Amino acid sequence: LTRSLVPSAPAALRALPPPVAVGVLHTTRPLHTTQQSLAPLPPLPEKGGEVRHGLIPEEFFQFLYPKTGVTGPYMLGTGLLLYFLSKEIYVINHETVAAACILTVIIYGIKKFGADVAAFADKLNEEKMAAAVAMKNEAIQTLQTAIEEEKKEQWRVEGRSFLFDAKRNNIAMLLETNYRERLLMVYNEVKKRLDYQVAMQNLRRQKEQEHMIQWVEKNVVQSITPQQQKESIAKCILDLKALSKSAHAAV
Amino acid sequence: MNLNFFDQFSSPSLLGIPLILIAMMFPALLLPSPGNRWINNRLSTLQLWFINLITKQLMIPLDKKGHKWALILTSLMMFLLLTNLLGLLPYTFTPTTQLSMNLALAFPLWLATLLTGLRNQPSVSLGHLLPEGTPTLLIPALILIETTSLLIRPLALGVRLTANLTAGHLLIQLISTATTTLMTTMPVVSLLTLAVLLLLTILEVAVAMIQAYVFVLLLSLYLQENI
Repeated sequence: LTRSLVPSAPAALRALPPPVAVGVLHTTRPLHTTQQSLAPLPPLPEKGGEVRHGLIPEEFFQFLYPKTGVTGPYMLGTGLLLYFLSKEIYVINHETVAAACILTVIIYGIKKFGADVAAFADKLNEEKMAAAVAMKNEAIQTLQTAIEEEKKEQWRVEGRSFLFDAKRNNIAMLLETNYRERLLMVYNEVKKRLDYQVAMQNLRRQKEQEHMIQWVEKNVVQSITPQQQKESIAKCILDLKALSKSAHAAV
Repeated sequence: MNLNFFDQFSSPSLLGIPLILIAMMFPALLLPSPGNRWINNRLSTLQLWFINLITKQLMIPLDKKGHKWALILTSLMMFLLLTNLLGLLPYTFTPTTQLSMNLALAFPLWLATLLTGLRNQPSVSLGHLLPEGTPTLLIPALILIETTSLLIRPLALGVRLTANLTAGHLLIQLISTATTTLMTTMPVVSLLTLAVLLLLTILEVAVAMIQAYVFVLLLSLYLQENI
């Protein structure tokens, strides 16, 4: 197909690769330049031609009416029939009886079932139309729903600023919280360092105190001579005795 | 026109020109061709609905390969139906009363089904000659019988259609002759025969439709066996 189309095309078109060339050729082909003869078709008439006795069109009766009146065509028919019968152009034989029977059956069938069959045919057409109309309505409904949805979305867009403010506040709070936390952390760290120094000083003082007390005690104990020890012990005993006497007296 | 009973079955000709072809092609004139409209008139709608019905009925038992036969079977059905029904009108010639025509329809179609079966799935086609579960002793006899029944099928198809329609038409002629003859001498008996004739006509209408359907149905069954 490309080989048949492309050689007749201009050189610029031929320069393109064949698939693209064919596509370009198709899109640049003029479309719908003439009124299509197929559409729109004239609508079908609502009813068929008027027929009398199921066979003879009404136009025949109208045609004979000016000259012969209402009974004209019937006279013509009867006369023709009698002519054929009397001149034996139509011979009455067994086929006549058979014809009478089959015509009876046919006419009975048409009279009994004709209307039903016509209604059935109409129903088939109606169903076809109804299906197409239903599809069309459904498509319209879908599109209208889509329009409603779109309008709602547009309304929602108006509230966008509130959403952004809320988000902005949220973020600011998060940042604030984070800052405060870090501040706290710094404070705690500094306090820990200072506490350490204080504890060190306290410990040093405590140790110095303890050491001094120990040294004083050691020196005092060393300075106590044995003589002094005996004297102090005797004094203590005398004091205790005196105390006990006073205690006995008190009791 | 003085007719003997078999003039209705002779191939029609006018001044030596055979009219059989026109007689066969005439039913096609009665079918409206579907126009390029979406909603048609009642006759076209009914025709379309009817043809769809027949085609679906015939094609449901067949698989995809058998759907190639849809056109020929449906058009055969429409042809036979219309030809048979039109033949019931007085002074009409029914082509399907001619054995030559019916065999010409039955034989090639049956042979086509047979050859399709033998070509594509020979063992399955030949396997149909022996029904399942037959006792071993009966096998040779049964194969012969089944082969005979297979080979007699086209004859059966053709002769069935011919015989039914010819017999029906002949009966109509005979009874209507009786009615006509008795009308002058014993009118009451003539009325009785007329009643019989009415019933017979209704039967013939039914037979016309059923025979067409049976012909096509049997062909589709042979196709199902062999496709």
